Amino acid sequence: MKTAFLQAIELVLSGDKQLLGILEVTMRMSIASSLLALLIGVPIGVLLSTARFPGRQALVVVNRTLTGVPPVVCGLICYMLFSGVGPLRHLRLLYTVQGMVIAQIMLITPIVVANMEAYLRDIVPSIRETSKGLGLSAGKVFVITAAESRYQIISTYLLGFARATAEVGAVSMVGGAIAYKTNVMTTAIMNSTSRGDFTLGVALGIILLAISLVINVVAYFLQRRVSR
Amino acid sequence: MIVRDLTKTYDGRKVLDVKHFEFEKGRIYAVVGANGSGKSTFAKVLAGVISSDEANCILRDKTCVVRYSPQKGYAFRMSTLKNVTMAGKGKRDREKAKELLKSLDMEHLMKTPAHKLSGGETAKMALARVMMEKCDYLILDEPCAAMDVQSTLKTEELVKAYCEKCGCAVIIITHSLKQAERISDRVLYFEEGILTESGASAEILHNPKSEKTRAFLDFYTI
Ligand SMILES: Nc1ncnc2c1ncn2[C@@H]1O[C@H](COP(=O)(O)OP(=O)(O)O)[C@@H](O)[C@H]1O
Ligand SMILES: [Mg+2]
Repeated sequence: MKTAFLQAIELVLSGDKQLLGILEVTMRMSIASSLLALLIGVPIGVLLSTARFPGRQALVVVNRTLTGVPPVVCGLICYMLFSGVGPLRHLRLLYTVQGMVIAQIMLITPIVVANMEAYLRDIVPSIRETSKGLGLSAGKVFVITAAESRYQIISTYLLGFARATAEVGAVSMVGGAIAYKTNVMTTAIMNSTSRGDFTLGVALGIILLAISLVINVVAYFLQRRVSR
Repeated sequence: MIVRDLTKTYDGRKVLDVKHFEFEKGRIYAVVGANGSGKSTFAKVLAGVISSDEANCILRDKTCVVRYSPQKGYAFRMSTLKNVTMAGKGKRDREKAKELLKSLDMEHLMKTPAHKLSGGETAKMALARVMMEKCDYLILDEPCAAMDVQSTLKTEELVKAYCEKCGCAVIIITHSLKQAERISDRVLYFEEGILTESGASAEILHNPKSEKTRAFLDFYTI
């Protein structure tokens, strides 16, 4: 146990090629999926909390339900869509980072939407009242509302990124954990553990924890800015 | 602007019921009444922020501009000056906003993030903001509730000047009958959502028709 830990730290410090490969794939996948989920989710979240249309409440509930979808179910759906018999087979997304990113977007976007909606539902009535009283246009109100939640957007992004790095079920099904191609930290931990190679697993675990720590420190300070 | 048969119901409870009232431009109207008597609801319906039970209860020109400052104005996460400038539509917005803030002794707070202002300072910011552009009807919901005496008097001067300059009607909700007397031409008295008395300020404030209004007014001369 102790030796595995020391060896893991050595491995991290040595700049091991295999480890760097896994890190690179993880970063590419996590950054792309969290950014895209943010781009899609923030406008939807703002719309859900500012616009008034029939079925809005229902959409809020549907979205909250989607945040609870088990990742393996999402992986299953993507697998069925992308596989040799699926409707999207010609896009050749199975066992690619792009395919994993799509699965991740499906998982993270509802979280982004729910996060934005939960934050905005408290302040939107007041913003609406004030901006309507000032005769501001709907477009201006939308922009102001998005700007008003800038810290929330950043911390939502960090949450999405953390989710992306920690995700296993969907990415292993869609990505297939192919070395140097689609193997990310979580799937690598699973594989190395089943091989009995704890060193790589522990090393990756340490890195994952470190990423989570950094993200939470930043999010904590952002949170302090958000609470007035 | 003519109001007729205006009602607003919340959860089956009628909180506002105005049979008929006519606002004329160039006048200042003070709206008074106890807590929960429906003053803010009246202001919101007039401003179009919420809808009344039935449509078309408020008759006014399609082109006329209504400006409204809520009881709790929202301070956007930007500087005080920007909070005021954002309400402008012209080119000289910055100068205009600075002037307005200056006239309310807010010069030193222009760069302060608006959400860090005190209650009274926020009220002054909101007042400057709502007066950035001309309008036909200016609706202020308790603008001076959190202000000190000097600021209150300055606000009154500013509102009077604005009213004269734009030739607009000002509808100001207040708990200070002294203020109503100083500033308004007409007083509207609400009781449990019903507009029970209205008319020339001196008349209502010193010679109310109903016993209940008299009791309320006696109580409020403090
Ligand atoms: N959004 C709302 N939902 C339910 N009840 C409301 C709502 N807004 C106001 N009310 C009720 O309507 C009554 C009048 O409120 P308001 O117009 O704010 O009174 P005030 O004269 O103090 O400004 C109060 O009893 C209040 O509880
Ligand atoms: Mg009120």
